[in-house]
Amino acid sequence: MRRAGWLALGLVVATAPWIVAAVVPRQQRYVLHVLIFTALFAALALSYDLVVGHVGSLSLAHPAFFGVGAYTAAILATGARWPFVADVLAAALGAALVAALVGVPLFRLAEHAFAVGTLGLALVASVVANNWVEVTRGPLCITGIPKPTLAGLAITTLPAYYWLALAALTGVALLYRGLTTFRLGRAFHAVRDNEPLAGAAAINPLKYRLLAFTIAAALAGGIGALYVHYLSVMCPEEMTVALTVNLLVIVFLGGVGSLRGVIVGAVLFTALPEVLRLAPTWRLVIYGILLLLVVVRSPEGIESLLRRATASRSAG
Amino acid sequence: MRYALTLALLLVMAFSAGAQAPPIKIGFASAMSGPAAITGEGVKWGATLAVEEINAKGGVMGRKLEAYFADNKAQPGEAVSAVRKLADVDQVDVIIGQTHSGACLGAMPVVKEIGIPMVIEACSHPKIRELSGKGGNEWTFRVALDDEIMAHTFARYIARTGVKSSSILAMNNDFGRGAAIAYEAAFKKANVKLLSTDFFDPGQPDYRPVLTRIKRAGAESILAVILASDGAPFMRQYHEVGLTQRVFSRGSLTTAEFLHQVKDNPKIGDGVIEASYWINTLDPEWDKKWTERYKVPPRVHGSLAAITLKWAVVPALEIALKKHGKADRQTIRAALEEVDVKDSPLGPIKFDANHQAWINMILIEMRDGQLKILEKLPTSPALLN
Amino acid sequence: MYAMVAAGLALMLGVARLINFAHGEFFMLGAYAFWYAYSEWGLPYPLAALLAPAVMVLFGIAYQRSVIRAILPRSWHVQLIATLATSIVLTNLAIIVLGAQPKEVPTMLSSRILALGGFRIVWQRLLVLAAALLIFWALQRFVACTRTGKAMRAMSQNREACAVVGMDVQRVAMVTFALSAALAAAAAALVSPLFNIFPDMGTTLTLKAFAAVVAGGFGYVNGAIAASFLIGLTEALAGSYVSYAYKDAIAFLIMIAVLLWRPQGLFGRRIGI
Repeated sequence: MRRAGWLALGLVVATAPWIVAAVVPRQQRYVLHVLIFTALFAALALSYDLVVGHVGSLSLAHPAFFGVGAYTAAILATGARWPFVADVLAAALGAALVAALVGVPLFRLAEHAFAVGTLGLALVASVVANNWVEVTRGPLCITGIPKPTLAGLAITTLPAYYWLALAALTGVALLYRGLTTFRLGRAFHAVRDNEPLAGAAAINPLKYRLLAFTIAAALAGGIGALYVHYLSVMCPEEMTVALTVNLLVIVFLGGVGSLRGVIVGAVLFTALPEVLRLAPTWRLVIYGILLLLVVVRSPEGIESLLRRATASRSAG
Repeated sequence: MRYALTLALLLVMAFSAGAQAPPIKIGFASAMSGPAAITGEGVKWGATLAVEEINAKGGVMGRKLEAYFADNKAQPGEAVSAVRKLADVDQVDVIIGQTHSGACLGAMPVVKEIGIPMVIEACSHPKIRELSGKGGNEWTFRVALDDEIMAHTFARYIARTGVKSSSILAMNNDFGRGAAIAYEAAFKKANVKLLSTDFFDPGQPDYRPVLTRIKRAGAESILAVILASDGAPFMRQYHEVGLTQRVFSRGSLTTAEFLHQVKDNPKIGDGVIEASYWINTLDPEWDKKWTERYKVPPRVHGSLAAITLKWAVVPALEIALKKHGKADRQTIRAALEEVDVKDSPLGPIKFDANHQAWINMILIEMRDGQLKILEKLPTSPALLN
Repeated sequence: MYAMVAAGLALMLGVARLINFAHGEFFMLGAYAFWYAYSEWGLPYPLAALLAPAVMVLFGIAYQRSVIRAILPRSWHVQLIATLATSIVLTNLAIIVLGAQPKEVPTMLSSRILALGGFRIVWQRLLVLAAALLIFWALQRFVACTRTGKAMRAMSQNREACAVVGMDVQRVAMVTFALSAALAAAAAALVSPLFNIFPDMGTTLTLKAFAAVVAGGFGYVNGAIAASFLIGLTEALAGSYVSYAYKDAIAFLIMIAVLLWRPQGLFGRRIGI
């Protein structure tokens, strides 16, 4: 997109709360809530795409990192009364640590085994969250997580949350961009596309995979912390394997490995059900069919359609 | 000329439609998808039937009711979305539901923020009671009882039957965990020794390992916190493993739903005594209507949603309309605090300072494949001590 | 029970190099087919039990021709996600069409109990065990002796060579699929009388079957069977002696442990099924 286009989009996104208030005043809170979720999901999807799209490892463990971060923040904020910024950082760190620990043995496995291994991790994490009642309160949930305060400002209104979520998304997107370009990005892609060759070029696949994995986990953990501060409640149901399905839909629908694609995917994924507003079970059926069609017909996702559109425009 | 007539006709129709009082919108939130989808299905059925029933009688003081549904997937995050959808998009005046404690807890701060009353039909987390009412969340109300309220009474009853020890087997969710905590304390007070506590995931099919554990623990009784759908394989395998413990239950084991599941061997549940607050025989007319329409026995959550609508929300609507001539969110909320129903199928519905209704507790026994109400016990805050 | 489902999964993986996340749904649909035949049509148990796999064979073929054909040549990422998507569609369609209420299918054998001394077991469970052993034996003979069976083995070893030699790769793949579906459905028909039938029953099963397949050595059927038995046994023992609530995690902990110790699975990446 041209410079001006980007600027206009950025302006719209930044002033969204006011636009929404003007256009749909009665549904304003609902729309903002959807936007907040969209932003958080997009950030989460981007962190997931680092591993799936740029290093080529189909990890199914993301809900575990999201959960570790969410619970760390929840426990620190309610029990030990840590301030917001501190518990978000702790959440990210905790998730990264878990990733580093399990990553080392997991990455030694062949591709398929890796995927199933990460799936196992996600499942075990889910079961632990549900049963380690002394720490996570299991199905009784951790309640009363306080609203965040950033630099003395209490973030309690929906527009404030929206900007916080937006800031987080921007940060993640910038990090994503930085990690996937320059030499680091090329190293990642080398590992993804041609592992033996990468090895021959003295690029250690294990090291780079682990790096991406850990960073992605840290991001997921941080987003988990933001999530629980928004909802003020954390239950084990939020980190089930179903979360992976959602992320897969977003990433593959949007375009695996592309910043724009993943964000578009997140927007569609969160906005579409609101537009459709069908019976909830049908919604899942439609997701499944959509995912199936997209993955079979155009695994590059919407991104490839977009690219083709802009390519033809610049060519013609 | 024809255009003018049609236009005039349309205008007249539009005006007369506007002259009719607008319907009152009721939102129902429950788990419509995901592993707990069966509860949402029940709620939807119950709500639809109840709203039809009310509208067939002319509505509430001439105002028809409209039901709107939202899915909370039994998760707090989705509950927030569900509340916002019902309140902002569907513009409902009052919400009934959530059904699952995680969803209830997630929804509570939001209904306060938006300012829309929510009447909870089934969430069993005791914290809900603590957080609601004067000095807390004034927008949430609860009709159902939680196990903190019921545990001491039931434990004392169990002790009275001569049982000296027990093993707890509970569902691994908010309901089961909450119950387990409550009964641990209650058993201690009632001098019943608790020999083991185990949890199972609802929907999982194989109880043999845990039943073997319970056999080894050797208690005289089992306190099962379980629903009808899991109850059937549970009772079969209970017999398979050859257990002889007396079974006391919390949940929906002694229900028509359970008997329907075991109709090949209806005596399989004989001897089970359950502490509950709902059974389909409390309202035979409803039982008949439901069975005719849905071809299965009434479901607990659906019936609770319907009762909440008919005997808590509708009286509040009537109070609001009589006093203020309108039924919007604030007036409904204030009216709910004044509701004083003496004879709903569940017993008296009157919200105390914590917005908790103290409905009756009932003890149900299964004998010869039939259900019998042993005792009907009124409840009150005094039971919490 | 786990073993039969896992075997079907391993079969597909080994022969067709296909990851099928919707495998659990074969089980679930087979269970519902059985329920329909047994409860709604009132067919006697053996007939209904045979009908279910027959139905699933047709379904398996249909599934193969539509979805699988499209994703077979793609990367396994695509396969995994496509079959995962199918699993979601099938599970939720089942909720819509068949209702979320669990169904019971009690049979004569599921209520009768065999009591030997202190040991009690419902006859149906013995039937499951006997039938499973029979089916496994039959499977082995089929693969070893029949032409199609040999073709399946050949395909699992070297697909390209098979195509070159003129073997009808598609047909063999189809047979494999049908067999896989039939195995799952047979398991369902045998096991349903013991438990409930509900739309979500396939999902955990798929995950555990995958755990067994991976732990047993990717694509090696006997390995998957062995691993399944290991998992089933440990689950039961752990559930009984350690902690029932963590039971589900056991399968995966075992798998992870096995993979850590031997990254190629218990029996290694043995070529062939």
